[in-house]
Amino acid sequence: MKPVKIAMVSLTHGHTRKYYQTLRENSKLDWVASCAEDERAKEVYELYKNGVPCYLSIDEMFEKHPDIEAVVLASANDKHLEQVKDCARRGVHVLSMKIPTFDPKEYDEMVEAVEKAGIVCQVELEMHYNPVVKRLQEIIESGKLGKILSVQATNITLSPVWAFPWQGSPEASYGKRVPLRDGDPRFRGGALCDHPHIFDLIRWLTKSDFDFVYSEVAPNIRPDLEVEDMILANGKMKNGVIFSLDPSWSIAENKLKVPGPGWEVFPKRMEVNVTITGEKGVVACDCFGPNVYHNGAPNDRFTVQYTYFDEWIGLIDEFVACIREHKEPKINLKWHRGTIDAMNACYASIQTKAPAKV
Amino acid sequence: MDLTKMNAALQELRSKYAVANNGEIIAAPCGDMGAGAILKCCCGKNIPLLPWRKERRFFELKNLVDTNTLEDVSTLRFAWMASGKTLAQLLYRELDLCEFIGESPIVSIFATLGGDKTANAIVKLADTKSCSVECSAGLPKGAEEIDKHEIIARRGIGCDRVVDSQIPMSSIYEFTEDGEKRYTDVDTELYGFSTEEIWLIRAAFEVLSKPELADIWIKADSSIRKKVAAALETEKNGAVALFGKED
Repeated sequence: MKPVKIAMVSLTHGHTRKYYQTLRENSKLDWVASCAEDERAKEVYELYKNGVPCYLSIDEMFEKHPDIEAVVLASANDKHLEQVKDCARRGVHVLSMKIPTFDPKEYDEMVEAVEKAGIVCQVELEMHYNPVVKRLQEIIESGKLGKILSVQATNITLSPVWAFPWQGSPEASYGKRVPLRDGDPRFRGGALCDHPHIFDLIRWLTKSDFDFVYSEVAPNIRPDLEVEDMILANGKMKNGVIFSLDPSWSIAENKLKVPGPGWEVFPKRMEVNVTITGEKGVVACDCFGPNVYHNGAPNDRFTVQYTYFDEWIGLIDEFVACIREHKEPKINLKWHRGTIDAMNACYASIQTKAPAKV
Repeated sequence: MDLTKMNAALQELRSKYAVANNGEIIAAPCGDMGAGAILKCCCGKNIPLLPWRKERRFFELKNLVDTNTLEDVSTLRFAWMASGKTLAQLLYRELDLCEFIGESPIVSIFATLGGDKTANAIVKLADTKSCSVECSAGLPKGAEEIDKHEIIARRGIGCDRVVDSQIPMSSIYEFTEDGEKRYTDVDTELYGFSTEEIWLIRAAFEVLSKPELADIWIKADSSIRKKVAAALETEKNGAVALFGKED
C-alpha cells in the first residue's frame, strides 16, 4: 500500500503531540509537513524534534508539498469549519479533532463540504481504539451482563487551559460567547467541550441515542476561568438505559505552558472509568489503568505515570484504511452529530435548570 | 502459547513498520528457566527473549530512572509469586530486572530457599545498590500472579503497584452469577493475545527492529543463567555467590 502523505495543521490542540510517534513510525504514512498556527505553536513543535518541516502558512505548506493527501487538523474548535472547507476544496482528507463544531449550521456546512468533495473526514475519538473499551464492548455483546440498565462514567482530567489557552476561551472553544445561565458570569466552552468521549461511548456501547439529559454546573474550582470546569450530567437513552456522566476538569494541575512532568497536583492527570450494570451482572473498568506510580521529580508528589496510550495507533490505522480503501470511518461527521447534540443539550439544561430533550 | 498466531502477528508488525529483518518465535525447551520462547532469527542466531524488558510497566519504571524522575536510586525491592513456575524461572526474570532497571551488573547474591517453593535473595549491584528479590512458586494452581517492583531512591519511590495495596489491580472487573472475572488489556495492536504472548511478540519485534539487541540479549541471558544457578547454590553451600566487585 502506498504510504499516505500526511500533514499536521495548527498544532494548538492538546492532542497534537500524541500523534507524533505514530506519524513517524507507521510505514503506511509519510509525514511530510506541518503548519503551526503561530510562532508560539511552532516553538513548542520544534521542542519535539520531529524532523518534519513546519510552516506558518497553510498555503505555503501546500505550495511546497502539493502531494499532501491528508491532514490532521490539530486546531482550536473555532478554526475547524474554515479548515475543513479549505481541505475539501483541495480534495485533502481530514482527521478532525473531537469537536468539529458546536454550531448546528456550521456542522451542516462541514458535512456538505465533505460529501461534495468526496473526502474522508474522520473524527478523532480515540477511546474507540482503547483495548480496555474493546474488552468492555465484547463483554456487553457476549450477553453475560444481560440487558444493560445503567452506565456510569467519568471523563475527568486536569484543565489544559494554561498550555492551550483557547480551551478557556468561550469563542475559540464553544464558537461563541453564550452565558451558562442568567446571572452566571461564566460561559459555555469549558470542561464539557473537552470531554465528548463518554457521551460518544455510551451511544455505541448501548447502541442507542440520547433521549434526554439533565446537567448542572458547580462553582468552578478555578475561579479565574470564564468557562465551566465542574459539570455533571444524567439522563436516559432512548432504549431506557439510564446514565450518569462526569466530564469535569476536577483534577488540579500546575499551570504549565507546555505539558510535561510536574503537570499534576492531584496524582492522576486523567481518568476514564466506566461502570455498567446489567440485569445479570456488573462490570467496572478503568480505561487507563493500572499504571506505575512515583513521588519523584519535579514535584515530589505521588504521581501516576501512565503505561500505555495506544489509541492514536488504531485511530490512524483506521484513517489510512479509509483513505486507501475508500471506506467511511466509524466516527464520521454524521454519526458524531448525535454526540454533539447531546452536549449542546447539556448546556441547554444548565440554562433552563430542567431536563433537555436531545 | 499459540506460536502460529504469535508469528502471524509478528509478521503483521514487520509489515506495518517496514522492518526488513525476519525471524520466528519458537518454543524454548520444556522447563527452561528463560521466558518460554526464543527468536530464531534470519541471521541464523537463536536469540533468547527478555519480554519483561518490553513490558510497559517495567519500561516505565526504568524510564523513571533514566529521566531522573527518581534520583540516586538506593534499593530495589522486587517480589513475584506465581504458580506453575520453577524458582529458577522466577529468579531469572527478577535478576534480569535488577540489572535492567538497576542499570548495573549484579556482583553478589545470597539466597535462602524454602524447599523448591520459595527463595529470598539479597543482591548487590556493582554500583552498590541493594536489591531484595522475593520469589514464591507456592500459589495454588489457577491463582493469579502477584508481583511488585519498587525502586527506592534518595528522591522518590517508584512502584508498579498503587500505594496501600497488596495485589495487582486489573483494568476490568466483571461480576456475574459465575463469580468475579478480571481482565487487563494493554495492547491494541495485539488485542486478544495473553499478556505473556503480547510481551514475547513485542520482544521479538524489538530484536528484529534493533538487530544490535541480539548480542546484548544473548550476553544478558548467558550471564543471568549463571547467576540464577549460583543463587540456588548459595542455600547448599552457605556462601555468598560473587560475580565481581562493587565500584
